Amino acid sequence: MNEHDKIRALLSLAAADVLDPGEEKQLLDHLRTCDSCGAELEKWKLLAGGLRRLPTPQPRSIVVERARAQAQIRLTEEIEHRWNRTVIIGLLVFAWILTLLSWPLVRLFTGGVLGMLDPRFNHAWIVFGVFTTTVWLAGGAAAVLLSMQQRRERRLA
Amino acid sequence: MNMTGSAILYSAMVGGLAGRESTAAMYWEGRVALDSDVAQLRRGDLEALSTLLTRYQNRLYRYLLRMVRQPAEAEDLFQQTWLRVAEKIQQYDPRRSFEAWLFTLARNLAIDHLRRMRPESLDEPIGDSASGETAATRLPSREQPPIEGILQRERSQRLGVVLEMLPVVQREVLSLRFEEEMKIEEIAEVLDAPLSTVKTRLRRALERLRVIMETSYPGENWQ
Repeated sequence: MNEHDKIRALLSLAAADVLDPGEEKQLLDHLRTCDSCGAELEKWKLLAGGLRRLPTPQPRSIVVERARAQAQIRLTEEIEHRWNRTVIIGLLVFAWILTLLSWPLVRLFTGGVLGMLDPRFNHAWIVFGVFTTTVWLAGGAAAVLLSMQQRRERRLA
Repeated sequence: MNMTGSAILYSAMVGGLAGRESTAAMYWEGRVALDSDVAQLRRGDLEALSTLLTRYQNRLYRYLLRMVRQPAEAEDLFQQTWLRVAEKIQQYDPRRSFEAWLFTLARNLAIDHLRRMRPESLDEPIGDSASGETAATRLPSREQPPIEGILQRERSQRLGVVLEMLPVVQREVLSLRFEEEMKIEEIAEVLDAPLSTVKTRLRRALERLRVIMETSYPGENWQ
């Protein structure tokens, strides 16, 4: 590909205003001495001008209004969903902190600091562990069922 | 009142500078307003959503129409795009261009739609061969009415019809550059392609468009 052919390949892009500075300089230098490329560039510019002046089709106003209403409803749902998620995460963290702190606190108040350091793996500990696990498993199952139901409702809507 | 050459030149320069400054000021005002609307939308402001929809309604619809060519499908995708905006606005990175992000959402939906409804259209040749229709038969009449305005409209119409005959990847790059006036970097972001690919697509699209125009309307002024 000689210099002339390279420039020819740049002409359409020049009409689209997407040449980088190096290519632009190369083109300008060439155009100073080449009338045929200048004429060719003018043709490309006419085509580009025609493309820029194509009429803009507009969506029907009923479609725009429907899109607006639906998007606003979806945004409201998303905000609500985000808020619910934040509250649930907050409650979960709070519940875990409460659960994890309750036994050491009970030990602290009933048996002193040394009593707290000695958990004594006895019947009370087992009951406490089973109780906590059951409650958390039930909570987790409820959350999964709730989310599945919500997803199904959203799909149907 | 006569003005000397230098006075005319001076007033033209001052006028030109003032005009350029006011255009730049308008551009920045527009950018600030857009950023503010997007930030408000991220905070869940319904009014900001409405403002952005009004701002982009024509451009977005035009782009979708260029992609899928059927007004009913473009309208459906237009609605889906705004639903997607409402769902995904929290994932939008404010350092990116909102416009590029919005058109990327629209493009992904349009490509999914085409893949589902008309998979052949993603690598379509010119024209609709199944119906036996050729590029030439889809073009409006070559007879030109005398009035310049009508001529201009007809030229635009022809160009629009020829544009529709290009493959979707070429149509979209032309639409983004010439109708949406996006920079090449923004187009690359929307298409998720390197700059060199975008330039190649643009060049090929223009060359193909010109070949069809020259074949169909030899010697015509396309302006």
